[in-house]
Amino acid sequence: MHLGMVIDLKRCVGCQACTIACKAENGTPPEVLFTKVLEQVAGEYPIVKKKFIPILCNHCDDAPCVRVCPTGATTKREDGIVLVDHKKCIGCRACYVACPYKNRIFLKRGSLKNGYFGKELTPFEKVKYPKWQEGVVLKCTFCVERVDQGLDPSCVQTCPADARIFGDLSNPESKVSRLIRQRGGFQPLSEDNTEPSVYYIE
Amino acid sequence: MAKTTPLVGKEFVSGFRLQTEWATLIAAAFFFGKIGSGLFLMSLFINSWVGALVGLLIVLIGKGGAHLLYLGRPERFWRGLTKPGTSWVARGFWAMMIMMVSGTIYLFSPIGSTASSVFAVIAGISAFVVAIYDGFLMNSSPSIPLWNTAMMPVLCLFYSLLGGTTLTLFLIEFGFAEVAVETIFLSNMEIVLLLTNLIIMILYLLSMANATAAAKESLRLLVRGTFALPFYVLALGIGLVFTLLMSYFVGTHGGAGVVGLITAADLVGHYFLFYLLLRVGVYKPVLGQLTM
Amino acid sequence: MRQAELTAQKDYWAKSACKMCIHSCAIRVHVVDGIVVKIEGDPDNENNKGKLCPKGQAGIMRLYDPNRVKTPLKRTNPEKGIGIDPKWQAISWEEAYDITAKKLKKIRDEDPRKLLVSINDFHRIHIWGWGAAFGSANYFSTVGQYCGAAYHPINGTLDGSFACTNDYEYCNYWIQIGGGDGFSSHLHVAGSIKRMAEARVNRGMKVVVVEPRMSTGAAKADEWIPVLPGTDRAFVLGMVNVLLHELNIYDAEFIKKYTNGPYLVGPDGNLVRDPETGKALVWDAGVGSPKGFDDNSIQEYAIEGNYTVNGIKCRPSFQLIKDTLKNHTPERMSKICTIPAETIRRIAREYGEAARIGSTIVIDGKEYPYRPAGVNYYRGAIGHVDGGLDSLAMKLINLIIGNIDVPGGHIGVGLDHRCLIVEPGADGMIKPQPHLLHPPYDYANNPYSFQLMEWFPIGIDPGHLSADNILYPEKHGFDFKPEALIIEHSNPMWNLSATDKVMEVFKRLDFIVAIDVVLNESTEWADIVFPDHTYLESHLLVDIEPPVITGHVYRRPVIEPLYDSRDATDILTELAARIGFLEQWNGLLNFTVFLKPEYYLQPDKKYTNLELTDRMAKSIYGPDHGLDWFQENGHTVRHQTLEEMYMPYRGHRIPIYFNFFKETGDDLQVKMKAAGRKWDTSSYLPIPIWRDSHPLHNLPSEYDLYAFAFKETLLNFSESTSIPWINEAMENIPMHMGAMINTKTAKAKGIKNGDAIRIQSPFGEVTGRASVVEEIHPGCIALSNGISRWSNHPIPKKNNTHFNRLLPADVKWTDGMTGHLETSTKVKIFKI
Repeated sequence: MHLGMVIDLKRCVGCQACTIACKAENGTPPEVLFTKVLEQVAGEYPIVKKKFIPILCNHCDDAPCVRVCPTGATTKREDGIVLVDHKKCIGCRACYVACPYKNRIFLKRGSLKNGYFGKELTPFEKVKYPKWQEGVVLKCTFCVERVDQGLDPSCVQTCPADARIFGDLSNPESKVSRLIRQRGGFQPLSEDNTEPSVYYIE
Repeated sequence: MAKTTPLVGKEFVSGFRLQTEWATLIAAAFFFGKIGSGLFLMSLFINSWVGALVGLLIVLIGKGGAHLLYLGRPERFWRGLTKPGTSWVARGFWAMMIMMVSGTIYLFSPIGSTASSVFAVIAGISAFVVAIYDGFLMNSSPSIPLWNTAMMPVLCLFYSLLGGTTLTLFLIEFGFAEVAVETIFLSNMEIVLLLTNLIIMILYLLSMANATAAAKESLRLLVRGTFALPFYVLALGIGLVFTLLMSYFVGTHGGAGVVGLITAADLVGHYFLFYLLLRVGVYKPVLGQLTM
Repeated sequence: MRQAELTAQKDYWAKSACKMCIHSCAIRVHVVDGIVVKIEGDPDNENNKGKLCPKGQAGIMRLYDPNRVKTPLKRTNPEKGIGIDPKWQAISWEEAYDITAKKLKKIRDEDPRKLLVSINDFHRIHIWGWGAAFGSANYFSTVGQYCGAAYHPINGTLDGSFACTNDYEYCNYWIQIGGGDGFSSHLHVAGSIKRMAEARVNRGMKVVVVEPRMSTGAAKADEWIPVLPGTDRAFVLGMVNVLLHELNIYDAEFIKKYTNGPYLVGPDGNLVRDPETGKALVWDAGVGSPKGFDDNSIQEYAIEGNYTVNGIKCRPSFQLIKDTLKNHTPERMSKICTIPAETIRRIAREYGEAARIGSTIVIDGKEYPYRPAGVNYYRGAIGHVDGGLDSLAMKLINLIIGNIDVPGGHIGVGLDHRCLIVEPGADGMIKPQPHLLHPPYDYANNPYSFQLMEWFPIGIDPGHLSADNILYPEKHGFDFKPEALIIEHSNPMWNLSATDKVMEVFKRLDFIVAIDVVLNESTEWADIVFPDHTYLESHLLVDIEPPVITGHVYRRPVIEPLYDSRDATDILTELAARIGFLEQWNGLLNFTVFLKPEYYLQPDKKYTNLELTDRMAKSIYGPDHGLDWFQENGHTVRHQTLEEMYMPYRGHRIPIYFNFFKETGDDLQVKMKAAGRKWDTSSYLPIPIWRDSHPLHNLPSEYDLYAFAFKETLLNFSESTSIPWINEAMENIPMHMGAMINTKTAKAKGIKNGDAIRIQSPFGEVTGRASVVEEIHPGCIALSNGISRWSNHPIPKKNNTHFNRLLPADVKWTDGMTGHLETSTKVKIFKI
């Protein structure tokens, strides 16, 4: 099994439902966004093109972050999910710099203190924050707890446009594999040979 | 006609993205690592006990200290030794540890003893690794084309040697060290190294001018953009041109003051060059440039 | 599951209904140890099919906002103003009720019209009439302005709908003008985005978006056609001209059979009638004589030609439409809207061809006309002076290809579970339904509502007129002044235009009472605040403007209320009882919660929100479908039947010639003249035309840029920026970072991205930052609603680049026919 995601750029409407669903699922502290939708504009009025590009950890098969991690905190599971063991991370940020997609986040000191409303943690934040540690690097986990229960990641579940599809890349009959074949899926920065498990289709 | 790809920060826009995470402290760690190991290597070569000791201390305190200050979880620093098989951070850390241990044994072994020779070789090799591994570390970021080049370790090595030579001259000039070679040899070597570094740097930057768009963006930031002033004044002007002119026209004849000035200028240039190279590291846009 | 059983569990998913915008998606909420940890779309609901927009996902941050109103509050600082601390003091419910009831009772005894009412909660339309039951006809809010005074009545007049969209399931060519359907806003965003994505990607539907700004829809469209604000009608009428006069593309069969296109119209614009029976006449081309519209012997309805009947020169209304629009050539319209004539022609041809006039489709064994093309539109296109005509033009371009409520075409959307209200009207036509939200106001010579609703017989409350009439009562002869204001889930100071005038009204009020969850720009001025439950803590049967689907979702408390809050309906009932109009209140509720006579409320008894919900459920769904049923089963949402969706008007003709509007305007003019009042009814037209008199396009030329406001999904419908997750994302998106200005325009004015700028209209001024982009017409600037806030809530930035401050708000700047406010203006900008 090789878990991966296909992002349909034709469907995505840049609504950021994924961005917020990720916040709700993971309870990440302020300024920590495991996924978000970028916009890219080209051209000159009136011939203008605007594209919405959801980004998240690509769970690369040949992940530079796994390679450069000196402690073994970042590892790749058998099913391809790349995870950071916060207890092992020393916060050297080699992975942060090595990630071509800039999809890693360093949790600064004090990040877990005040929560979003600035004074004290909300009951929701009190439930969610204990799993985080300051001074280490975090990133998207493909919602590993959900995936292990057979559910889709939260961003996939909510996406109103069904622009995110999750599945087994090693199964040629899976929806993700078929989409990649039929609609010419491509990997972000494929020239860097990191073999992302996230594909885009247009 | 297509709008140029913007350089973006944390906003939700696709474009070139600046490397922001490694800056002052990592630049300091690289700097101390290179000058310390350079000095240590030079001291092995010219047989300066004091120089070798100072080299070790610069690496231990300067480099080690900067790293500890930078780490998010410094109390777990020892975990950084876990994965030398793939990680240049771990390799660098190992090299530094071996350099410390073997260098110390070398320093305190009887001169001419087998232990002294063996550990000199081990310490020398590990110091060499400490001097150049930054280059490999930076090289291992595939999406920062400015760093992702074989020139990087070469640049590191020569800057390390230059730093070592400068510091050796400084130690001699201020009477902290006596050496087996003539000062004139070191002075000439300094000039040759300064020239070499200048050439390597120019070649390196020229190679970027013909590289990918992200590399060009890095170059633009360095030579025309936000970072051009410190680059021309500190890294290039003070660090290489001023030092070269002073070394060539005045040199050690100028006495301790001039050597001190050259040393300071060289170190300033050295620190800022790598600081700036870290700061202008630019990642490619995630899905490349949007074409019409 | 019963409420007590539900919340007694340790770890559960509770099904409910969202309320993070005015629509309501079905949700399921994960609760662990009493804490809400996740909200998702309910996968078992046909409406949003498990999908949820970013706002819905962020509901947790509304529930747990520490700035919520936690107890009834009393203001102790008599000074009111922006940034001033009201120095709230927590008081008991008894004290809050007592103070409020005493104040309001005194007003009601003296003159109930002295109460301003701003009850604007779209999920609880049943409480909107609280003010009317109190005795005040005032509507101090903005449903007409930022929704669609020029939208809903025209929909209701066409086919008994409240809103409209195109047919997601069968449309192949979707033109969208000034609306966000399927991309970013309007009806049930999550479900609509899903349906639109399926149409675009799975079926290859082509989308053309006409807008001054490259909105999400425009970005995703096959083609973005930039247009100047307030000129969309010119573009559409240019297309109509091409279809009728150049390409000869129109659905004659549809016009003959299902519209009043064959009805003969005389030189006065009125229907020609049989002098004896009064019956509207048509021309039977088969025998060459006039006949009553419903004459069984008619062989061939004429929709073209000129005839003389009883000495009156007349023509079928379709011919009149054709003739009237003959001079609306693409070249002339192009000069107005800035869209090249060539483009108007091309789009008209593509649209006409995509309509496949004459084709039919069989769905579930039933044959329907198949018109897979449609023009959909919303507030951006019609929020103008002459907005009624804008709406009419949008309807006309759909009508002529015969796509109204047929597969693939332009589809009416009901306000609620009743779907389209199809009732017999005059002359064999469908009965116009311009007033689905509340009954029309009776005409009066002297005004009795500050919004002048009595003089807008087919409009929707032009609440924006209130402030002008309060400050200048002599203009229309008001002989009473407001003394108090009640606000429920509304923010009139922010949402009404001409903000400075509204603020002046606030200053003059003696007493303001508010019911809400968090405080906003308006409720910070309150004297008493009642805490309402959030949607995650309350009960309601929710059903709001559903496209494609119908039915109710049961909203239930997924956890016990966190604070000492009560349901707004219960608060209003208690106040009605204490003030002394419980009987009127209960009488109104009978009507607004759709009660059947057997469930009517006793006039003298207070009913809880729960009891109301139960009676409403039983009235709509039968005695075995009360609250208990909904607690077990959650919702009654289903896909609409074919009969509900397609051609629901069968048996009644729909208007292509809107004589109803003309007749209403004529009638109003007679009354106003008799009252000695000057009142402009020139926009009550049966056929949409371009009128050069539009005040927006005649502002002094020094105001060289059009300005308008916009919203996108993150900030769609209602309070958003105080939700920190939403705010965080918003602040990272360029269009919400400042006023959007085209690169070329900015360059010409020496303005760079991020520069501080001053924006001046003839009516007001704001300052802000420039966001220099390509994605906007160079003749415009656009202001996101995300940069408009100034409340004391700690999360949103106090940008105060509030578009409404730039707008006028008086009768001149209001659409005569519908009461819609002009929502664009012109400005000049300077670098500060």
